[in-house]
Amino acid sequence: MSTDLSSELQGLSVFVVEDEALVALNLEDMLIDLGCIIVGPAMRVAKAREMLADALQADVAILDVNVAGELVFPVAEELATKGIPIIFATGYGQAGLPEAWHGNTILQKPYTMDDVSGSLAKAVRRS
Amino acid sequence: MPNIDFKQLFHRLTSPYMIIDRQYRYVAVNPAYERAVMRSLEEVEGLSLFDVFPNEGESGQALRASFERVFATGETDTIAYIPYDIPRPASQGGGMEKRYWTAVHVPLTDDDGTIAYLLQNTVDVTDVVRLREAASLPYRSYSPETQLVERAREAESAHRSLLAESAEFRRMFEQAPGFIAVLVGADHIFTFANDSYTRLIGGRQVIGKAVSEALPEVAGQGFIEMLDHVYSTGETRGGEGTRILLQTPNGELQERYLDFSYDAVRNLDGEITGVFVQGMDRTEAVKTLKHQRLLLDELNHRVKNTLATVQSIAAQTLRAAPDLATARKDFEGRLVALSKAHNLLSQTAWDSTHMASLVGHELSHYDGTRIAASGPAVVLNPKATIAVAMVLHELSTNAAKYGALSGEEGRLDLSWRVDETDGELRVDWIESGGPVVTAPSRSGFGSRMMSLVMRGELNGAFETRYEPHGFACMLTIPYSSYGRIKHVD
Repeated sequence: MSTDLSSELQGLSVFVVEDEALVALNLEDMLIDLGCIIVGPAMRVAKAREMLADALQADVAILDVNVAGELVFPVAEELATKGIPIIFATGYGQAGLPEAWHGNTILQKPYTMDDVSGSLAKAVRRS
Repeated sequence: MPNIDFKQLFHRLTSPYMIIDRQYRYVAVNPAYERAVMRSLEEVEGLSLFDVFPNEGESGQALRASFERVFATGETDTIAYIPYDIPRPASQGGGMEKRYWTAVHVPLTDDDGTIAYLLQNTVDVTDVVRLREAASLPYRSYSPETQLVERAREAESAHRSLLAESAEFRRMFEQAPGFIAVLVGADHIFTFANDSYTRLIGGRQVIGKAVSEALPEVAGQGFIEMLDHVYSTGETRGGEGTRILLQTPNGELQERYLDFSYDAVRNLDGEITGVFVQGMDRTEAVKTLKHQRLLLDELNHRVKNTLATVQSIAAQTLRAAPDLATARKDFEGRLVALSKAHNLLSQTAWDSTHMASLVGHELSHYDGTRIAASGPAVVLNPKATIAVAMVLHELSTNAAKYGALSGEEGRLDLSWRVDETDGELRVDWIESGGPVVTAPSRSGFGSRMMSLVMRGELNGAFETRYEPHGFACMLTIPYSSYGRIKHVD
């Protein structure tokens, strides 16, 4: 990973929605290593919306698509309205996303730290 | 009408006539008939024709078939040529006599219009046939009479084979596994629909009706437009796995998937007269395929999730372990805990597990005499199963390393109960008799993981206490997180 990328992501606040504790834990560690600040993780759609309603501040969001049996898209819509770039983390790949969200960055599970840093950089640059 | 004696007329007719009833029993015969068959009315009256003149061969069948047609259809039936041997009376030497006939069968109705009798006019053409046979050897010069019989014979045989053939084809089409229908004209009027077709459309009677009238729900689904196209252009149309909504007998619309083709039917002049419809109902196959795709997607999702979980366990274990040997041992232990939970879930097709069997499995490699586990029957959904399995694994590993299960004396009391009002599951893990424990200075993977699983993933609580007699821990999980009704991914 290039140093530019590391510095680019330094201090970036990342809103995490992920219902699997172990996966969330790993993502947390990766984000800490990348110098990011973690917001969440929210492990339910309801919790995520609560945090959004509570004036959530974030530079970018990483959203699991299927959150404890609920689809994350209502959260994504609210984030989009706020202008926060979205990364979808999913085991399904692009096929698991409705067409409206096909333009978004996808983090295919399982992912590596390079995948995470790469998709963060892409999402932030795109916005 | 002049006063004619019809009984006398019947008797005076020079051509042989007889009348039989529906059981083919003789009712009346005229003298010409008596002479032709060498039997008197007294000899045959009330007897079945087939008892008087038995014939198990082709001719007997042809005659019977002709009778049946007349009684069934009410239409006149002609047998232009039929060899039918008759027994010679003993007075004339006995034995069988070879005879050739033509016969016309006419239905006779009784007062209420039902067909009660059949009138047969039969002509013995044996002499003419013999002339033909004689003429064919050695010269093939037929007299006008023999030519007439020859034509009749040919026409009869052609007619019989056509009848037999079309009946055979009809039977084959009726029973074909695929659906078949024949439509005629620009309005696509049904003239034939086989058993499969009738089943497909819910048993409705469609013969003589236009498609739009017989199957009104099909309008607007594109099929009639295709029929119009085939009828006007002669081009074949069809589809594979095409969705159609068809009405069931109780009036509901049902989704079916069909492989089908529409082919133009042409007459001898090449003009299009209708459309031949054939196909297969593929609904079950399409449904199975859809279900399989769904299962594959679901499997893929689960595998990816499980891999992500394993990836996390590996990363966390490697990060926390002081050396590679410990990392390997810890990693394997966690993988086995996860695998046991998966085994339990597999037993119920990934539906649920019982708390008691989960506890039994996860604690199975510890000394059972030092562990007391009790609680009511509680059913956990898959997500809660995996989460509780991982937590139980971390707690028991810690107990074996540092707590009550590390020495020779300690005990573990594990109990759970369900709150009667809100269904919350509470688990108490109480260690005693082991070495004195103190809270760790920094939180390792185990406690981070347990805390995140319990609080974040299961929306419950996770409290630990380091007491003089040993470590204790209390977990609570709301019903909405472990209950079976909830959909889990």
